[in-house]
Amino acid sequence: MNRTAVGLSFPLPLAPSPPVIKSKEIRSCEEAALICWESGNLNPVDSYTVELTQAETPEASGVTESVVGIPTCEALVQLQPRQSYTIYVRALNMGGPSARSQPATVHTTGSYFHLNEQTCHPWLTISEDGLTVVRSERKTSAGELPASNTRFTRCVAVLGNLIPVRGRHYWEVEVDERLDYTVGVAFEDVPKQEDLGADSLSWCLRHTFVSSRHKYEFLHNKTTPDIRITVSPRKIGILLDYENSKLSFFNMDISQHLYTFSCQFHQFVHPCFSLEKPGCLKIHNGISVPKHVTCY
Amino acid sequence: MRLIFTNRRRMALKQISSNKCFGGLQKVFEHDSVELNCKMKFAVYLPPKAETGKCPALYWLSGLTCTEQNFISKSGYHQAASEHGLVVIAPDTSPRGCNIKGEDESWDFGTGAGFYVDATEDPWKTNYRMYSYVTEELPQLINANFPVDPQRMSIFGHSMGGHGALICALKNPGKYKSVSAFAPICNPVLCPWGKKAFSGYLGTDQNKWKAYDATHLVKSYPGSQLDILIDQGKEDQFLSDGQLLPDNFITACTEKKIPVVFRLQEGYDHSYYFIATFIADHIRHHAKYLNA
Repeated sequence: MNRTAVGLSFPLPLAPSPPVIKSKEIRSCEEAALICWESGNLNPVDSYTVELTQAETPEASGVTESVVGIPTCEALVQLQPRQSYTIYVRALNMGGPSARSQPATVHTTGSYFHLNEQTCHPWLTISEDGLTVVRSERKTSAGELPASNTRFTRCVAVLGNLIPVRGRHYWEVEVDERLDYTVGVAFEDVPKQEDLGADSLSWCLRHTFVSSRHKYEFLHNKTTPDIRITVSPRKIGILLDYENSKLSFFNMDISQHLYTFSCQFHQFVHPCFSLEKPGCLKIHNGISVPKHVTCY
Repeated sequence: MRLIFTNRRRMALKQISSNKCFGGLQKVFEHDSVELNCKMKFAVYLPPKAETGKCPALYWLSGLTCTEQNFISKSGYHQAASEHGLVVIAPDTSPRGCNIKGEDESWDFGTGAGFYVDATEDPWKTNYRMYSYVTEELPQLINANFPVDPQRMSIFGHSMGGHGALICALKNPGKYKSVSAFAPICNPVLCPWGKKAFSGYLGTDQNKWKAYDATHLVKSYPGSQLDILIDQGKEDQFLSDGQLLPDNFITACTEKKIPVVFRLQEGYDHSYYFIATFIADHIRHHAKYLNA
């Protein structure tokens, strides 16, 4: 047979290269994880497969669960609470599956989120581990910042990227008692030229330290209830409860409930943080809802 | 010891009424009080959980002119008490029927106005011992007759009863797991109600007065961590009359680092409508510590 006859043979495509999981951007809660990755391939890929194994199971060969046919570089996978998972991603095309990506680990204790650098006001810096927010002394206002839909330009703030899953999420923020700060939640499209708490798109606790006195406001739509708190918290617990439409704040040093908003969450919200004066906030993630908080 | 081993008749309770409510039972009892030397009524709510085990006990102290009826009929507390599994006890606000001259002359002194002190002056000192009644006799009676855990007790109240709850907690560190109040009289030595009551019950020695004043007690409070929740109506006429003085208490607590969350509630007055609005928050506050 003459092998040069047209149409009788052509080379098969090569299997793709393994994708690269964006480990630092994994978001998770007790029931799910949102994983995203880089394709790892210049040529288009037909689909991706996510493989999950529960780590530290008694059986040496852990059962691997596969989620197949994923069309984009992102997957929201359902998980069991209080476990550790090892996650791999493969790319798939006509040449077959790629090798496994480098693994990523997900712990389903509490909720994990990272700070969204794209929302970050230019005067804030985020630490290497993504959990400390710093506002340093500045001499100049650096002129008017151009208005933006994504980046805070007035309020010196940053949003977190919380996994878009209902249920309850809990995190803690460590603060200095003398610091002016605001912490809470906001919708992704909260106006970036406004202060947190100034409209109906965010709910937050604002602490102001002036003349040696602590002032606490629980702001939404520019209004706050009239509340006085005698012991200033250094560690604040925040409980976001989609099922009961509530957002609660706690002084975790003494397990004291401070205030609960009743909110209508018509969309998913994200943690928000701002610093009204130079200083820093440290965020703690991956914490199960503490017992005394659960009754709220 | 005295109450248990002598005179069983003293411990006898006579049930006056019983009504089922949110799956539990709202009861009223009468007994012969040793401290007060008269017959006293008190209300007890037994939640459904009390059928199968011991429950924590939450004491409610009422305000001026109240009996054991006001709280149980107006506050709407039963649902929360039932859900959280708490036994709730509400005593009367003073001894009754003692035939003391002058006891019915004012609504803010004498009958219905015991101020939760142990009187030292005649003619009040024989009967007006509400402090000992609330902190000693009543809990012993409750512990002996109802399915309660004697180690888990909390206290709250309204107005004069708010004052009562605060001083009982501050004078007995560790006895109560939590305390809360609605529109409490925070600084009685400085307000008209307190001055009238204390001079009548305790005489002219201001040091005796301070021993029953929450703002003063906080200044020397040595004890275990308290978590105090206070609700105060902003339109409360007694607030504007200078009878309640919460600012003084808050300032003292801030200095001594006693944890308080004080909520000034817009539009609310001194009435049971105000209490009914926030009673569930208070019950949850106590349940958190009592059910821990």
